[in-house]
Amino acid sequence: MTALNRERQLFTAPRLSLRPTLLVPIIAVVVAAVVGVALIAMIGVSVPKAIAAFVEGTVGSPYALAASLNRSTVFALVGFGFVLANRANLTNVGGEGQIAVGGIAATAVALYGHVSGLPLGLAFVLPTLAAVIAGASWGAVAAVLKVKSGTNEVISTLLLSFIGVWLLYWCVQSTALLRKPMTSSATLPESLEIPDRTQLPLLTGDYSFPVHIGLPLTLILAVVVGVILSKTILGLRLRAVGLNPAAAHRAGISYAKTVIFGLSTAGALGGLAGALMLLGEQYTLKDGFSSGYGFDGLVAGLLSRGSITGVIAASLLFGFMRSGGINMEMVAAVPTALVVVIQGLIVITLAGAALFIEKWEQR
Amino acid sequence: MTWELFAVFLGSSIRLATPLLLAGIGEMLSERAGVLNMSIEGMMLMSAFGASVGAWATGDPLVGLLIGIISVVPVSLLQAFLSNTLRANQIVSGIGINILVLGATTLAYREIFGARSRAEIPGLAKIKPPLIGDIPVIGTAVFEQVWLLYAAVALIIITALVLRYTSIGLAIHAAGAEPKAVDKSGLSVTGIRYSCVLFAGFMASLAGAFLSIGDIHTFTEGMTRGAGYLAIASVIFGKWRIGGTTLACLLFGAATALQFQLPALGIAVPNALLIMLPYLLALLAVGGLVGRQLAPATLGEPYRR
Repeated sequence: MTALNRERQLFTAPRLSLRPTLLVPIIAVVVAAVVGVALIAMIGVSVPKAIAAFVEGTVGSPYALAASLNRSTVFALVGFGFVLANRANLTNVGGEGQIAVGGIAATAVALYGHVSGLPLGLAFVLPTLAAVIAGASWGAVAAVLKVKSGTNEVISTLLLSFIGVWLLYWCVQSTALLRKPMTSSATLPESLEIPDRTQLPLLTGDYSFPVHIGLPLTLILAVVVGVILSKTILGLRLRAVGLNPAAAHRAGISYAKTVIFGLSTAGALGGLAGALMLLGEQYTLKDGFSSGYGFDGLVAGLLSRGSITGVIAASLLFGFMRSGGINMEMVAAVPTALVVVIQGLIVITLAGAALFIEKWEQR
Repeated sequence: MTWELFAVFLGSSIRLATPLLLAGIGEMLSERAGVLNMSIEGMMLMSAFGASVGAWATGDPLVGLLIGIISVVPVSLLQAFLSNTLRANQIVSGIGINILVLGATTLAYREIFGARSRAEIPGLAKIKPPLIGDIPVIGTAVFEQVWLLYAAVALIIITALVLRYTSIGLAIHAAGAEPKAVDKSGLSVTGIRYSCVLFAGFMASLAGAFLSIGDIHTFTEGMTRGAGYLAIASVIFGKWRIGGTTLACLLFGAATALQFQLPALGIAVPNALLIMLPYLLALLAVGGLVGRQLAPATLGEPYRR
C-alpha cells in the first residue's frame, strides 16, 4: 500500500452503510423502549396515559418543543467532543464536570465581569468564552496527566467530573464565591440571576417558544467538527494517533499535542454546553444543574459510533426522551429514572453488539 | 486534638475505608486477570439496594446481606459476559451497567418506599473484639465496629495469601500478563476472567451492603456517589498490589472522615472542599505518584484465541 493510499484511507469517514451500523442502534432503542413500556405497565401506571404524557412533554406545546431542542443541543455538544477525542482513541467521560465548570465560569463573568454594558452581544459572548476556556482547561488537565504520567483518561476525567460537581456545590454554598447575598436564613443556595443582557438571545424573541441561539450555534459546530475530522490535518492526526500512536510518532505527529488538542476541545465543547444551559435557560447557578447531562451527552457520543449525524440523532432522541420523561413524572407519576434505565439498556446493547457490527463490516 | 477525638477519627477513617477496601481488592483481582471492571460502582449500588430491601422486608440484616450478595450476581455475569464473551469495550459496558443500575435501583426504590422516603432499615450488628476492645480510649472508638468490617479484613488477608502462595494466584496473574501462555498451559483464560469478575462482584456486593445496612442504615438514590470509581483509583494508586491498594483506601477513608472531624474541632474549612478531597487525592494519586508500566499487560483487552 502506498503512502498516498494509506493517507486516503485515514481520511475516509467511517462507512455509513445502512446495515448493522444503523440497524443495531435502532434495534437497541426499540428494544429498550419496549422494556420501558413494560416497566410502566409493571409499576401500575396506565400505558396510554404515560405515553400521552410523554408525547405532551416532547412536542405537546411550542414551549415543550423548545425545551426539548435546547436540551438536545447540550447533549450534542458533549457528544461532538466525545466523538472528536475518540477519534484519537481517547474516551472523555468528563462531560458532567466540564458542563459544571462551564456554568460556573459563565455565571461568574455574567454577574461580576462588568460585561452587561458591552455592545455587539459581547455581554453574552464573553461569559460564553469564559465557559469554553474553563471547560477546555478541565479537559486539558486530563490530557496533561495522560501525556506526562500515562494516566488513563477515563479515570482522570471521571474524577475531574466529581471535583467539578463539588466545585459547583462550593460556589453556590459560599457567599464569598457565587452565592447570592444572604438576606435571611431562607436564602436559597444559588447565585443571583444573571443580567438580561448576558442572557442568550431567543431565536424568535418569544418566550412561549424559547429556543435560543445555541441551536444554530450547535448546528454550525456540527459542520465544523465534521470538517475537522474528515477534511483537515487535525482530523488526520487524531485518527493516526488513535489507530497507532507509535506509527503516528514515526510519521512526525506529536502524540502530546494531539492528545491535548483532543481532550481540550472535548472539554471546551462541554464548557460551551454548560454556558448554553446557564445563559440560555436557567439564568441562575444552582447545585446539580448539570446533573446527568454530561452522561447523556457521553451516551449520545457512544451511540453515534463516530458519526456527527449519529450524535445529532441520538441527542435529539435523548433531548425529547428527557423532556417526555419529566412530563411523565409530573403528569403520570412515572419516575424519570425510567428514562435512565432505558439509556443504560441502550448503551449495554450497543457495547455488546460492537463485535457483531465489526464482523459484519469486515465481510 | 485530644486523644479521644483522634481515636474517633481513626475509627471513622477505618469505617469509611472499608467499602472502598472491599471493592478495591475485588477490582484489583479482576484487573490482575486483565478485566477493567468499571461497573464496580453499579455493583455496589445494586447490593446497597438489595441489602436494604432485604433487611427492611424481613427485618433481618443477615438476610439483607445475603440478598445484596445474590442481587449482584446477574450484574457480574453481565459484565463478565460483555467483556469476555462478547469482547465489548470494557469501559463502555461498565458505564452502561452503572447507568442501568442507577436507573433501576432508583425506580425500584421509589416504587417500594415512595419518593424521598428515608425509612430506617435494620442494620448489621456491631462487635467489640476482646482484648483490643478493652484498651482504654481507643478500644471502643476504634475497634467497636460492624462485624462485616472484621470479616472484610479476614477476606483481604485470605485473598492476599491465595494470590501470593497458590497456583490460583499465579494463574490469575498470568491471565492478565500472559494470557497466551495460560491458554497453552491448558487453563481457560475466559474461565479465570469470569471467576475474577464474579469475585469482584462479590466483594463489591459486600462493600455496597456495608454502605447501606452496615454504616448508615438506610438507602438513598445513587448513594455510592462515586465510591466505585474511588476504588478503581485506589487500585491504580496501590500499583495493583494488596498492600498499596489497602493504604490508598485508608487514605481516602481518612480524607472522607475529615469531613466530620474538622468541623468538630472548630476548624473552618469549606465543607465542599472536604467532600472533594478524596477525589482530589485520587486524581493526584493516579496522575503523578504512580509509574506507568505497572498495569497488568493486557488490562482492558479481551482475550481472543
